[in-house]
Amino acid sequence: MTNSNTSDSPPPDLKRQRDEFLQNFTQGARLTEEFVREYDRVNARVRELEAENGLLRARIEEEDVLREMLQKITALEQEKRDLLSRFEKAEAASSAFSERFEEVENEFANLANLFVASNQLHSTLTPRRVVRRIKEVMAQLVGAERYAVYMRSPERTELVPIAWEGVEAGVLGPVASDDERFRDVTASGKAQVPEGAPTQGSVEQPAAVLPLTVDEESVGAIAIFSTLPQKTRFETIDFELFKLLGQHAAAALVSASLFEQAGRKLPGLEAFVDLSV
Amino acid sequence: MAEYSCLIVEDSPMMRQLLVFALARVKNLHVTEADDGVDGLRKLASARYDIIVTDINMPIMDGLKLVKRVRSDPAHKDTPIVIITTEGSQEDRQRALQLGANAYITKPIQAPQVIATVKELLKID
Repeated sequence: MTNSNTSDSPPPDLKRQRDEFLQNFTQGARLTEEFVREYDRVNARVRELEAENGLLRARIEEEDVLREMLQKITALEQEKRDLLSRFEKAEAASSAFSERFEEVENEFANLANLFVASNQLHSTLTPRRVVRRIKEVMAQLVGAERYAVYMRSPERTELVPIAWEGVEAGVLGPVASDDERFRDVTASGKAQVPEGAPTQGSVEQPAAVLPLTVDEESVGAIAIFSTLPQKTRFETIDFELFKLLGQHAAAALVSASLFEQAGRKLPGLEAFVDLSV
Repeated sequence: MAEYSCLIVEDSPMMRQLLVFALARVKNLHVTEADDGVDGLRKLASARYDIIVTDINMPIMDGLKLVKRVRSDPAHKDTPIVIITTEGSQEDRQRALQLGANAYITKPIQAPQVIATVKELLKID
């Protein structure tokens, strides 16, 4: 019986070998399991890293695009600044041109006014028409509302009103040549324009007094007592008109009067002989 | 480039000359002058005008009657009319505008204002 049991039991060597084998096998299995787990873990990490890598690559690409776009924006902003600068320069040039154009247009209008005034004063040899033209120039070009034209008496002692507008006839009358309103003007041959609004002038204190001259000799004066409400100050063109009136109005008036006195007969040719210098 | 024609109706030779000088600055605008309202109507009957510039105070036929006659004529009912008035004559100005005038200019006239008004009514740049 003992033998039977003994015969079933492996010999001790085998048992030891078996135990060693089992031990080795178990260790191998455990190691394999560990390898598999480690493999899975590494594999998962690789996938994570690949995904991370993909994201980083995409971000870098995005950043490149962004950088490129930023460069484009910078270039466009510079272009915009350049264009704005050019536009401002062009606008300034255009504005300067417009201002100059306006100046030239105004200058042309002023010259036209002077030409028309001179032309109209000399386009008739009828004293009444000359006076009417003087009045038109005063009203339409100078903007005078109340004024009077005075001529010096032959004795040179008085200035006699020959035409007026906006004032009662009774208010005006001959004034002494040395009347303080006219004295300096007739002596110097220069217009006198006191400071202050010309709309507020009066017969006693005219807004302007202009000399009337023939060949540089004072023969009368025009007193502007006040101007139209919209004519609040005299401009450069008005002073030019004053000069023109001073030099042309009296000459036109004297010429027309002499022509009238001569029976409106043109002088004979003998009057023009030896006139060439 | 379009051509335009303008009729100036003004009894004062000086004012006419000033208006002609001013309107000569408008390109392609041909100007015809009339001495008063009757002369103006005569000229309107014989030619077509794109714009009329007229004084109010004129002998024979004044500007108000002219505006009325022009507006009652089918041939000119739409022709722009600019009236020239003095500062004090608001009533005339209102009456002219009521009768169909399109714009007014106050004396003393300023060439740039005349040019601008005519260009605006003719729609010229």
